Amino acid sequence: MLTPVARLPVVTTELDALLRQVARRDVEAFASFYDQTRARVFGLVTRVLRDPGYSEETTQDIYIQVWRTADSYDPVAGSPLAWLMTLAHRRAVDRVRSEQAASARESRYGAANVDLPSDHVADSVILRDERRQVADCLGSLTDAQREAIQLAYYDGLTYAQVSERLSANLATIKSRMRDAIRGLRKCLGIP
Amino acid sequence: MTEPTDPDLIALATPYALHAVPESELADIERQVGAAPPAVAQAFADEVRAVRETMAVVSAATAVEPPEALRDRLLTEVSTAPVVELRRKARPWRTTILAAAAALVIGLGALGVGLALRPAPSPSTAEQVFAAPDVRTVSGQIATGGTATVVFSRERNAGVLVMNNVAPPAPGTVYQMWLIGDKGPESAGTMDAKAVAPSTTAVLPDLGSSRALAFTVEPPGGSAQPTGPVFAQLSLA
Repeated sequence: MLTPVARLPVVTTELDALLRQVARRDVEAFASFYDQTRARVFGLVTRVLRDPGYSEETTQDIYIQVWRTADSYDPVAGSPLAWLMTLAHRRAVDRVRSEQAASARESRYGAANVDLPSDHVADSVILRDERRQVADCLGSLTDAQREAIQLAYYDGLTYAQVSERLSANLATIKSRMRDAIRGLRKCLGIP
Repeated sequence: MTEPTDPDLIALATPYALHAVPESELADIERQVGAAPPAVAQAFADEVRAVRETMAVVSAATAVEPPEALRDRLLTEVSTAPVVELRRKARPWRTTILAAAAALVIGLGALGVGLALRPAPSPSTAEQVFAAPDVRTVSGQIATGGTATVVFSRERNAGVLVMNNVAPPAPGTVYQMWLIGDKGPESAGTMDAKAVAPSTTAVLPDLGSSRALAFTVEPPGGSAQPTGPVFAQLSLA
């Protein structure tokens, strides 16, 4: 049984201040914001797109969008990291769907798991520690929950496609997704 | 605390937040949330927020360092002017452009040029723009050939775009127009190869606070946000 970890060291306050500076066209603040978040963004995009070239292009697009729209970040609506990762995931999923690459990727890679990439991993100590905690929490989900998150979040399938893929009805898939998030949230100690 | 009474809608909050609902269902879900009782809307928003905060933390699990070169490219792009402003033609408002634009609007409007603009191009909007006391014209050369002209009125909050002899987009792509305002770029419609050649007009029905009209190349159907570089821009300031 996993015990909830203490609030993870997501540098929200600092990212918040950096984003406000980025909104004022501060290039140095933009560089710091990039350095603190680049591995998360590039890693997520790579996980979704599975193509280094596309992933680099899409990551560039994401940060250009950050540069252009930093002033639209509303701290009341959530943390800066959630704002960024939502934007990044949206772009990656849009790219996958527009390339209609889902079937091609699948035949190349088979049913992927939420395995951790073994090389080129981000080497910041904080991230490494957090990575271990998250991996433990992903491990605490049921296989069915993990599979639903894998197909929807990392493979960019819609919940209806996930339901077809797993031959489970829509209500079951939706509750698996919800339970997976609840499990992760509790395990990670996210308020 | 009582449970919100719309379990079907609340059940969609997680897929919605994971970007796992198809584009075609998004508007309907958002409409339902907008029309729902406050407690239901709040429950939906709370769930979306919780999912996003959770997945933000989970992103540590997939972290991978990007190539060093990406940092240099990004910093160069944001440090230098990201967009080469189209050369503004150094001539004042000219009746000939307006007349040409008006003729094109009428001519092509009748042919039903296949523009995927939000509302259908409306001759009355164009007429209102042309008749507005504060009507202005900006025009510029497109690098790959051709001319883009916007006739617009702040008072009418609308404009008419005229494109002449602009090369069509490469096969499998469209041109997308963006109104650049305080909240970043907002799509003003797309044009495919059929819509572009040889001349095109499009009504821009809501200029809002936009300061410029920008053009990018996007996949068919357009994108929610620009994904390609801006290849032309007209200042509406």
